[in-house]
Amino acid sequence: MSLERAALAVRDLRVRRSSKSGSFELRVEALDLLAGGVLAVLGPNGAGKSTLLRSLAGLEPVLEGRIERRVTGPVAMVFQRPVAFSGSVLHNLRVALSGQRLPRAEARVRVDEVLDHFGIAALASRRAATLSGGELRRLALARAFALRPAVLLLDEPFDDLDAAGQEALSLDLRRAIAGTEVAVAVVTHDLRRALLLADRIAVLLGGRVAQLGEREEVLARPTSPAVARLVGMANLIPGTLRSGEGDLASVFVDEQHTVPVETARDGPCAALAPGAPVWAGIRPERLKLDVGRGEGLPIGKGVVRTLISDGVAATVGVAWAGLELRTHLLAGRGLARTVRPGDSVTLSVRPEDVHLLPRG
Amino acid sequence: MTELRAGEVVEITLRTLAVCGTALAVALGAGLPLGIALGRRRFPGRGLFVSVVNSGMGAPPVVVGLVVSMLLFRSGPLGFLGLLYTPEAMIVAQVLIALPLVVGITLAAVGALDENWELEVRTLGIPPLRRLWLLLREIRLGLLAAVIAALGSILSEVGAVQAVGGNLDGETRVLTTSILMYTQMGRFEMALALGVVLVGLTLVLAGALTVVQQGGRR
Repeated sequence: MSLERAALAVRDLRVRRSSKSGSFELRVEALDLLAGGVLAVLGPNGAGKSTLLRSLAGLEPVLEGRIERRVTGPVAMVFQRPVAFSGSVLHNLRVALSGQRLPRAEARVRVDEVLDHFGIAALASRRAATLSGGELRRLALARAFALRPAVLLLDEPFDDLDAAGQEALSLDLRRAIAGTEVAVAVVTHDLRRALLLADRIAVLLGGRVAQLGEREEVLARPTSPAVARLVGMANLIPGTLRSGEGDLASVFVDEQHTVPVETARDGPCAALAPGAPVWAGIRPERLKLDVGRGEGLPIGKGVVRTLISDGVAATVGVAWAGLELRTHLLAGRGLARTVRPGDSVTLSVRPEDVHLLPRG
Repeated sequence: MTELRAGEVVEITLRTLAVCGTALAVALGAGLPLGIALGRRRFPGRGLFVSVVNSGMGAPPVVVGLVVSMLLFRSGPLGFLGLLYTPEAMIVAQVLIALPLVVGITLAAVGALDENWELEVRTLGIPPLRRLWLLLREIRLGLLAAVIAALGSILSEVGAVQAVGGNLDGETRVLTTSILMYTQMGRFEMALALGVVLVGLTLVLAGALTVVQQGGRR
């Protein structure tokens, strides 16, 4: 991010969408799309992600508030199900540029550029109707980038692509965005893909922005259990806050189980007094199996219940204090090779990796 | 009595083409915009409008002829126009027959477009006239189907033009009405000659449009 300059600024927005299943209201107090930045919009189905994106594209009537464009240049949108115009891939790109009143030579340069960039140069003369889902998506992205947009809105760009296709497309997208001043918003339900692209995250819940912030901040410090679950903080341990020595406190779960936590933290729990009901949130990759490597403090023994590996990472489910905690291991290495369901293991965590949330 | 009069065949054929061509042009001119508008816009009463169009697609031409005749009859509400038994009256009847076909088929073609198509062109910032051109391009197969259906229906139609035109020699006699007349008179060689011309016209015109339509499938 170069300047922290807002390309698109949303203020006190209220948008209502009516459908057969009833009407839905989206309210956004303040949200900026920064030039040169990528904002991921996360949320469950029906949270208002697509409505927000469509509002930003000017496709929804605004009831209240405003969406300010602070830069010149087109706002481009790539829909979840892009539509190709009949004719060739090349024709599609030319049509996209037809509103831009470009000199012929300039248009040709742009078309060649995006054909090349999204790896569809070989498809230029193909009829768009014969493209596969992945190729169509690439065409839609190429069409959007041909406009040299100041704002780019992507609705589920990785939908219905296989893993390899997603990987390749996210790399191409990153490259297309890099070095430009385009402000990007990407709506997705796939956290992993969102993280590949985004530097900021907005979490939508029930038509409201539940949290908005830098990527690392939102991942490490979600402001509510619902946000925590959405951003992959899979372990939420209910307990009571207990004071400890110095900066160290603990979350009391039961007589056998406590979780260490640092107290000197900003956030929703800064004002919590001992005895307050809390959630101790731990990301799976921060929860360590076994002990004795100087990493963190043990929080007690658990029994391995499940072990799922995709060949790269293994997710281990461990029964602990009546909960099933999750932790990630690198597949095929160390413990991931030896640990089996039924094994007794020790869990540990660094106090600074435990995130407190008020409960109840 | 049994002679074949080439001059009369040519004259009737030319009149048929003039009447049907005019009716087709009017039906397309009014029907295409109407079909496109009905296909793209949502407004109260649209459903009723669409069902009227759909019923019109199956309306019996002879009844259309009856209604137009009653309207244009000397003592009818539009009798003062003096149009009954003129080519203009035939054009009116044919337009009423062809219009629902043009509107209905255009509407269906627009409706078959992906619902996101409109959003896609809007977000690409394509200017309105260019959008319309793109739309016509997208639905061109349907448009040609509308032209073929409309042309076929009015070229082969006999009941309505007989009722409002009266099959007057040298004035309102067209291919279908003259075939009917010569058949009833037992002058089968004339009826057959005119029939060959009518079938030939239908085949050539529909064939040419089909070639255009299928050539445009890309």
